[in-house]
Amino acid sequence: MRTFLLIGVGLIALPARLPAGESVDYLRDVKPVLRERCFACHGSLKQQAKLRLDTAALIRRGGRHGPAIQAGDAEVSLLIRRITEEHEPARMPPQGKPLSDKQIASLKTWIDAGAPAPSDEIAEEDPRLYWAFQKPVRPPLPSAQAQTCRCNPVDTFLAAERARRGVQASPPAERATLLRRVYLDLIGLPPTREQLQAFLADAAPDAYEKVVDLLLSSPQYGERWGRHWMDVWRYSDWYGRRSVPDVMNSYPQIWRWRDWIVRSLNENKGYDGMIVAMLAADEVSPDDEESLAATGFLVRNWFKWNYNQWMRDNVEHTGKAFLGLTLNCCHCHDHKYDPITQQEYFRFRAFFEPLELRHDRVAGEPDPGPFKKYVYGVAYGPIASGRIRVFDEKLDAETFFYTGGDERNRVGGKPAVSPGAPAALGGDQLRIEPVQLPPQAWYPGLKPFVQREETERRQTAVAAAETALEKARTAKDAQKSEQLAEARLAAARSDLASIRARIAADKVIYLGAKGDAKVMARAASRAEQQFKLDAIHVSEVQAENALESARQQKATPAQLLPLEKQLTDVRAQVARCRAPVAEDSTTYTPLSRIYPRTSTGRRTALARWIASKENPLTARVAVNHIWNWHFGQPLVESTYNFGRSGARPSHPKLLDWLAVELMANDWHMKPLHRLIVTSEAYRQSSQFDRQSQNHKIDPEDRLLWHFPPRRMEAEEVRDGLLFVSGELDLTMGGPEIPQEQGLTSRRRSLYFAHHGEAKMEFLELFDAANACEAYRRSTSVLPQQALALSNSELALRQGRVLARKVWRAIEADTTLVKREEAFVQKVFEQVLGRVPSTAECNASAVFLNRQEELFRQQKAEIDAANKPAVAGGPSTDPAVRARENFVQALLNHNDFVTVR
Amino acid sequence: MSIPMRTGGPICGRIDRRTFLADVGLGFTGLAMGAMLHKDGIAHANAGAAWAPPDGRPHFRPRAKSVLWIFLSGGLSHLESFDPKPALTKYAGKTFTETPYADPLRSPLFHERSRAVVGGERPYPKIFPLQVGFKKHGQSGVEISDWWPNLATCADDMAFVRSMYTTDNDHAAEFQMHHGRHALDEKQPVLGSWVHYGLGTLNENLPQFVFLGQYKDMRVKQNFAPDYLGPRHAGVELSLDPVNPLPFGTRGKGVLAREQQEQFAFVNELNRLAAAAHPEDEQLQARIKSYELAFRMQKAVPEVLDLSRETAETQRLYGIDNPTTAVYGRRLLAARRLAEQGVRYTLVYLSDYGEWDSHLDLRNLHARSCGRVDKPLAGLLKDLKRTGLDREVLVVCCSEFGRTPGLEVRDTYKMPTGRDHHPHGFTVWFAGAGIKAGTIHGATDELGFHAVEHPHYVTDIHATVLHCLGLDPRQLDVPGRKRLEIDHGSPIRDVLS
Repeated sequence: MRTFLLIGVGLIALPARLPAGESVDYLRDVKPVLRERCFACHGSLKQQAKLRLDTAALIRRGGRHGPAIQAGDAEVSLLIRRITEEHEPARMPPQGKPLSDKQIASLKTWIDAGAPAPSDEIAEEDPRLYWAFQKPVRPPLPSAQAQTCRCNPVDTFLAAERARRGVQASPPAERATLLRRVYLDLIGLPPTREQLQAFLADAAPDAYEKVVDLLLSSPQYGERWGRHWMDVWRYSDWYGRRSVPDVMNSYPQIWRWRDWIVRSLNENKGYDGMIVAMLAADEVSPDDEESLAATGFLVRNWFKWNYNQWMRDNVEHTGKAFLGLTLNCCHCHDHKYDPITQQEYFRFRAFFEPLELRHDRVAGEPDPGPFKKYVYGVAYGPIASGRIRVFDEKLDAETFFYTGGDERNRVGGKPAVSPGAPAALGGDQLRIEPVQLPPQAWYPGLKPFVQREETERRQTAVAAAETALEKARTAKDAQKSEQLAEARLAAARSDLASIRARIAADKVIYLGAKGDAKVMARAASRAEQQFKLDAIHVSEVQAENALESARQQKATPAQLLPLEKQLTDVRAQVARCRAPVAEDSTTYTPLSRIYPRTSTGRRTALARWIASKENPLTARVAVNHIWNWHFGQPLVESTYNFGRSGARPSHPKLLDWLAVELMANDWHMKPLHRLIVTSEAYRQSSQFDRQSQNHKIDPEDRLLWHFPPRRMEAEEVRDGLLFVSGELDLTMGGPEIPQEQGLTSRRRSLYFAHHGEAKMEFLELFDAANACEAYRRSTSVLPQQALALSNSELALRQGRVLARKVWRAIEADTTLVKREEAFVQKVFEQVLGRVPSTAECNASAVFLNRQEELFRQQKAEIDAANKPAVAGGPSTDPAVRARENFVQALLNHNDFVTVR
Repeated sequence: MSIPMRTGGPICGRIDRRTFLADVGLGFTGLAMGAMLHKDGIAHANAGAAWAPPDGRPHFRPRAKSVLWIFLSGGLSHLESFDPKPALTKYAGKTFTETPYADPLRSPLFHERSRAVVGGERPYPKIFPLQVGFKKHGQSGVEISDWWPNLATCADDMAFVRSMYTTDNDHAAEFQMHHGRHALDEKQPVLGSWVHYGLGTLNENLPQFVFLGQYKDMRVKQNFAPDYLGPRHAGVELSLDPVNPLPFGTRGKGVLAREQQEQFAFVNELNRLAAAAHPEDEQLQARIKSYELAFRMQKAVPEVLDLSRETAETQRLYGIDNPTTAVYGRRLLAARRLAEQGVRYTLVYLSDYGEWDSHLDLRNLHARSCGRVDKPLAGLLKDLKRTGLDREVLVVCCSEFGRTPGLEVRDTYKMPTGRDHHPHGFTVWFAGAGIKAGTIHGATDELGFHAVEHPHYVTDIHATVLHCLGLDPRQLDVPGRKRLEIDHGSPIRDVLS
């Protein structure tokens, strides 16, 4: 039983020394306290009051106020006085709890003892010189032998480290194991039985490499790796109040960004270009409609209720995703570990300050209408068409410094902050140039498809009005109907004429077509006015007809009154409309909203700086993620924090070599995948001996002396259930599928709604990504996973499907004698990607017999339980049912969810 | 109930990976569960300092074994429940400045304790009178409104904290009540997840953190979300629907019990064969165990939720015989059964989402909602007392905030008849194990506006609950995850026995 520490100890009584006999060791008891509580301000990062406390010598030397300690006399030492100061504002450290009595006692005892410390103590290095902030250079391969052999460079670095630590690599994995591993890794699906057999039969020395190339060129590669990157880029469909529906976070139609990710990976786009597109496609490729969806990276952070929150998420997650920097730490204060100031936090925010969202129309889809600005208390539902993207709306937007993480605390008198990246990373002098956008970008109504669709829609309306007129002529009250139909036709025709005139004017005014702009505009204006007049005339005829019908039916004066008023009103409108037609106006309604003609170029500058080969962090952060997804463990544990408070790489040279290699390949990822999965390290067995020397030296397998086995990710489990039974629907892309269909739809898991409001239960149980933060996934083993694999409609149904499918194939093969044996073998190969052992075969045969016998005995019960029969339900034939049970059991086998 | 493999989420701080591999064999005990198989991906803020996940034991002597956390969503009016203010009736229709009391809108607390996510501040200066009468009850003489006739008879078994405040004036305050942070700040694990993370299991066959309730708004899930503690510390939603009490916890349609039992046995047999081939695979051992647990859980959950095992008298006590109160009575009776059977923490969502949000027609809407839960809540307290469970089970009942003393006026309201959201002062109550019954702690000002005497932010409730369970929240901190002082809160010692 532990002792309970009183919460909120506020007493600053002078603590005693440590009890006699308890010694103090500087490195063990003193330095860690100083590092934790003092170094941020009094270390190499800041040296406030010219004081550094990172070595004993520097402590003795002291700062502006003299030596920090007097060795041998704690009571007079400045350091002790400051940490025990009763007056709180003067007490150090200024933030957080005071140092504990024990910590103070240790410090005092140490000082009284003469402040002994190792003589070779090294001061903290200049934070700007930290490894991660230096541009990576390609390190030479670790040995002369490595430089001459034709080994995979990845292996030479790993081998050198293993040799240094006295650890041996493992033998190659069995071929079947390797095949399943690489299939699941590269495309997220296991090999089929046929693919397994073809590979086992392929004796060519490059059989494996051929498979790798095939997988990397498969469209499923983009889906598998797209999902990985979606974790880091925080892909989220819209959420907020989906049940209302009310969009608050992210935005509808953002799935186009997901599809862009998948497509870009399949096309082997460079990672640098992808970054630039995600941060600034609207500036660098404003005409490329497909790539505009990439700005979903910023759309995803949008939060209807609070613009500042949008900005904060943009800063934090741009920093974490691409740079491995915890910029969010500088929201309230200068960074405690990294050379980044609070001022620089706001400079980084300024890149995003002009942002707003916008709906773009997509060819062949209804116009989503303009983006609605938020009005308090109004819910707004999702748009069902179009593309969502960002643009710079407020070209002169200013960013202001505030304190305490609360935008209400703007610091008065402080001028607006200019955009810039951290100086320590060379980002403070970026050239920001405004971007002149092409006309179709700022006036999307100029796009040919918009003009065409708008014209066609009206042509169709004219044709419909003509047909209606024909019909009206034969109607009962022909005169009235005809009159109305004629009015409608006239309106439809003038609507068509109006759009044609407006398009013609647009072409002259904005797109450089020949003609006199003024004349064209005047014609467009007149045509539009004519249409308005004709449209009102329709109302006039309707009102007249209504009144006349009422009179004929002998309506009372009270009933007639509103109809008469209606007619008077309409006629007044007609009169009002007539006037402007005569006027010499040149104004007409544009075919879409018109946006600013320039963009600030701020985000382009940021994106190009991030995606530059000069940036020390970008490539390292990317290859670390890629490595993590191949091996299940990264080279730098803190995947989103490469700063000084993050982890050191397990293999620094390998990390740098890979980073340089990625950039040398023009940031293409496929060559890197190929390099990694063809390494010996990747092809090693995952089996190992817990008693081995290897395990004693490196139980965590940081040295990769065996391949680290892993549990499938959530998507692999669900997709796998569908795939092994041959029913996975490989349709790609499109709007997100409702989570409620997770157990019935056969589409791949990445296409289901994924957002911060709720998760699909099945995926959630298997540790699906958190849509708000998933720089690394976790893995758990839960009893609920067992329940999901045993009882879910999905697992049960797919088990039955597969049982039937395999049995049918067996029955078709008339040469087979031992059908049950063949069945067991085939199911093992299809579900687990391996052949069963003898013991497994025997156990399976016993199980099949026992279940069949059970069902024979309980035939009446299974018949009764199956009424009414449901599609996909269990069979009532004892033998079939036993086989279904067998397949379902294999889907629950640990080896199904395990990648070895 | 879970067997962690690798702790969740991204990491920061300094790294010192280790394997906490307590027991991969057969000695799978409750307390070892949390640590059974824990491959740690968590960074250590303090280089060299040893860190281990909790071992499942309390940090000091606990006063309670388990918790029933009862939540009323939408904002229960503290004024028409447990903190009635006669001044409101006396000065009805007047503005705050026309009363003899200090204008609460001019108090610095007004800005300090409210940070709007949406809309503005909510200054409604015209006083709206109490919509219901009130009386003193019990030996403590606590004033309780007349809408709580049954619960009022339990006054001496309850402890009231009348000086709560929160900082969000909109409904994200509901999630804040559970995880402790304002909507614009970084999310944290909810209290139930911390309890689950910190303490071992009381019953291996039941989930230890349960959610009971019904809702359409998916955001309700945030109230039992574990955030960075990972899905194994999430609240498990149980349902009183006998067809599907536990997610995936019911055999598929047409599947026989015996059939499934044989199947489970076969899966285990195959996994044991695989384990022989892969002695190195620690996850496999955990998976074998997880199937055994799953099978037992599937059996145990429907049993514990089977309310027909309770006498008719007990069901009446909870109001299950009355259609108005039945739904709520069933939920609370089920919660008692869960606590009795060793569920550590049950979050009972005792209303629809936003049900208590009476912007208009407060008189009728609050009377209606009180009528639904008054009898069941009283029944729960009486039942706990007579069974002696009040010495083991801690009960907390709260809402995300109170309601404004002023009348809510808006352009769109023809006839204003309600109160708006009020984060500045409201009441929660406790009962059961560890609680000093009959306590009234803290106070709002004369107008029921600001919590002025012993003010408590919501995490003080968390600290109180953790304290009763014998947990020190600071010792639960996960390295690399910054918890602030305000996240830890302080136990409200006046209400502790």
